[in-house]
Amino acid sequence: MTFNDRIFGVLMIVLAVAYGWAATQFPEPFGGAEAVGPDTFPKLLAVVLAISSLYLIVRPDPDNAWPWSRTGVELIIAVVVLIFYAMLLQPLGFIISTTLAVGTLCWRMGARPTNAYMTGAVSAVVVYFLFSFALDLALPLGLLSFLEMN
Amino acid sequence: METLGYLMDGFGVALQPHNLMFALLGAFLGTLIGALPGLGPANGVAILIPLAFSLGLAPETALIMLTSVYAGAMYGGRISSILLNIPGDEPAMMTCLDGYPMAQKGKASEALAISAVASFIGSLIATIGLILLAPLLANFALTFGPAEYFALFLLAFATLGGITGKNPIKTVVAACIGLMIATVGIDNTGVQRYTFGVLELFEGVDFIIAIVGLFAISELLFFIEERAGGGKEKMKVNKLSLSWKDIRDILPTSFRGGVLGFVAGVLPGAGASLGSFISYTLEKRVLGKKGYFGQGDPRGVAAPEAGNNGASSGALVPMLTLGVPGSGTTAVLLALLISLNITPGPLMFTQNADIVWGVIAALLIGNFLLLILNIPLVGIFVKLLSVPPMYLLPIVTMIAFVGIYSISNTIFDLYFMVAFGVGGYVLRKLEIPLVPVILGLLLGPEMEKNLRHAMDISDGDWMILWDSGLAIGLWVFAGLGLILPYIVGPLLRRGMKGKTPSSGSPESD
Repeated sequence: MTFNDRIFGVLMIVLAVAYGWAATQFPEPFGGAEAVGPDTFPKLLAVVLAISSLYLIVRPDPDNAWPWSRTGVELIIAVVVLIFYAMLLQPLGFIISTTLAVGTLCWRMGARPTNAYMTGAVSAVVVYFLFSFALDLALPLGLLSFLEMN
Repeated sequence: METLGYLMDGFGVALQPHNLMFALLGAFLGTLIGALPGLGPANGVAILIPLAFSLGLAPETALIMLTSVYAGAMYGGRISSILLNIPGDEPAMMTCLDGYPMAQKGKASEALAISAVASFIGSLIATIGLILLAPLLANFALTFGPAEYFALFLLAFATLGGITGKNPIKTVVAACIGLMIATVGIDNTGVQRYTFGVLELFEGVDFIIAIVGLFAISELLFFIEERAGGGKEKMKVNKLSLSWKDIRDILPTSFRGGVLGFVAGVLPGAGASLGSFISYTLEKRVLGKKGYFGQGDPRGVAAPEAGNNGASSGALVPMLTLGVPGSGTTAVLLALLISLNITPGPLMFTQNADIVWGVIAALLIGNFLLLILNIPLVGIFVKLLSVPPMYLLPIVTMIAFVGIYSISNTIFDLYFMVAFGVGGYVLRKLEIPLVPVILGLLLGPEMEKNLRHAMDISDGDWMILWDSGLAIGLWVFAGLGLILPYIVGPLLRRGMKGKTPSSGSPESD
């Protein structure tokens, strides 16, 4: 099967055209046009990308299989965990959000749940204290901010 | 003579107690990073960069620490090759061939010690080579004009896939993607390009975020897919019984390997993997029937290790003198230089002489530290190897999060990093190499600047780009870099593939 490279090639040509077209819309820089304006380099890139993508469509490599079914779900879970980790880092604080994120990742990767969340909690506390005391960097405490010492 | 003076100053910098401490820390972390499968050198250095920033290290200290990490990672790659038959990083795959059989025969600790000595010799030779060659090359590079630089950057991209690269067109596509991302932001004439009015994009894409996302996050996703973490049976490490004779036996091999590796490291398009491959093959040829390669010959362990460590120091030559890295890890080191506001290239040898020579001296000192770390303390690394990846990778990911968050304390950067991670995963699935993307991000602004300068000089005449003999030469080599893989590549690849176990590591050296 050679769908991957073909589809990717088509997408890249679309990108090249959109990118090149956007370059033609740049306003002329203050002080008048020069030999090489802000649009020259992008236009060059668009042309090179379009040509090489065309080659990919004409002579694609064989496909690597995409992970469907379970592995695919695990991958989506991992990405969702990472997004939630970023989202909750400030509201929940570093220690709680890290325990949840690292714990969930370890668990989904095959560790037993108790071990997984213990790993998460221990690594969170160690890194937190390393950062706040040894390295003097503030990580958010979030829900645990009542513990804050003055 | 002048060089010697600079080098002495360099030792003055590198021997300051706190620099020495960070060199030791870097060497330790580097060995660990190299040893752990699934955490390659480029990846490891990338994760540590944001931490070096948030620690507020002085430029030379940060650079010394991360160069030690780089050197250490090359030492560490061999540990899992020998004990588990899994290369810790790509250049270490040739070490599996004789290292694992030695371990199976109950000579694991001899194999580890021999490879440490060979690594040391290889690195030492290459560092001396670096000291001799770098100032010459830097002087020569001072004659480059903008047109030559533009062609040089093209050469860097064209040879990045290496002559063993599979599909050079994919390197071109990857480079374009990287260069395109580099154009995002306000350019130097004040025009907004591709910002879509998003405030966070006005200053462009921070390449540190992109690098950490592309390497660290995509590695996590890849690992989840492969589930290779079931844990392999561990090799028992016996008590070391190494005589001077054993070391003397591998000396000639290590010297040859180190020199070959250095040459492979300096040349564009070769790199550490090829360096270790050539050293191993040559050694097999030279020794002929006297060796028992493939069945646990100590020289079969020494040759590739000397080769790959020689190449990794050699690879610093183009990075330091021309500002053009030839491999993934040196590209990451270049990222560090740029973010420390040091303009890489020939001028660095005059303007930032203390930093350059401090780093070179640190490389020499780091080698001795690594030898000390790697012979008596190898047991610690062996123990750490048994940490299963299912615990290790989530923690590494968390450290990447902390590092990126600590740069600017914004959540936007974290989302951005995850997006780059997913993008990196997709690209790797399509066998689009990630290193050209990163190099494009790093070199994009310089490349455009040189193009503009060249055109300003010629008043808009494109012919200036291939007006001088030097520029033409660079263009020819760039062309060869793209064409040769189609001709020589299949042969070399067959040679390398026929003998090595499949490598799990996605990134090149």
